[in-house]
Amino acid sequence: MAAPFTLRKIGVPPNSANLTEARRRVFDFFRAACRSIPTVMDIYNLQDVVAPSQLRFAISAQIRNNAHVTDPKVIDLLLFKGMEELTDIVDHAKQRHHIIGQYVVGEGLVQNTGSKDQGKSDFLKNFYTSNYF
Amino acid sequence: MASLSTNSLSFRAPSIQSSRFSQVLRKPSSFQAISFGSFQSLKSLRLQISCAAKPETVQKVSDIVKEQLALSADTALTAESKFSALGADSLDTVEIVMALEEKFNISVEETDAQNITTIQEAADLIEDLVQKKPAA
Repeated sequence: MAAPFTLRKIGVPPNSANLTEARRRVFDFFRAACRSIPTVMDIYNLQDVVAPSQLRFAISAQIRNNAHVTDPKVIDLLLFKGMEELTDIVDHAKQRHHIIGQYVVGEGLVQNTGSKDQGKSDFLKNFYTSNYF
Repeated sequence: MASLSTNSLSFRAPSIQSSRFSQVLRKPSSFQAISFGSFQSLKSLRLQISCAAKPETVQKVSDIVKEQLALSADTALTAESKFSALGADSLDTVEIVMALEEKFNISVEETDAQNITTIQEAADLIEDLVQKKPAA
């Protein structure tokens, strides 16, 4: 049996210097989240509702949603929020219906399933700068 | 090993102080020689392991990969297929490693996980970890 994984609460680390380090932090966060899945399923009694692979898919979908970001500081902030969310879940600060509503795909709320606006629209970009274009 | 013990025995005859000193001086050098030799044999041992992953392990890994990447059941997956060739990006690779961790009940370190690019490598790493893990 692999040693049980505990989420260590580290203080806010300094900003990532470049994209590679930010990438590494994303993968570390993803690994930490996946390793906390057994604990989460235990706390909220999700054994009959969802499989661990579905939770993994939900986590990776959230990460993929922001995959187009290139600024390391923005990535750091997203990771900070993700870490905060993960800590809340593992600390049992949320309730079962929150977890099911937000992360169990198919039964959940449909708000965040679309990809964010990639900024393809020139009209809007020009609209924000001035009235005349 | 046997030669080392006979050396230490023979040195015990003269004065104790000097023999202990010489034993201590002798140990690091011989130890270095031993460790160097074992390092080389470990390299060749690793080469042997890469050919010896069990086929059912490879099969299980292929099943997990197929499920993760949502490939159809009849896509041919050889042991040498790379994850990137099958349409997996880096996050997919990490997810596959996590799925393998769960399935085989092992814990993969980050440094090991970065070297996995093909199914064969994943199966070898799993075999390594399953053997090293103390039998619970």
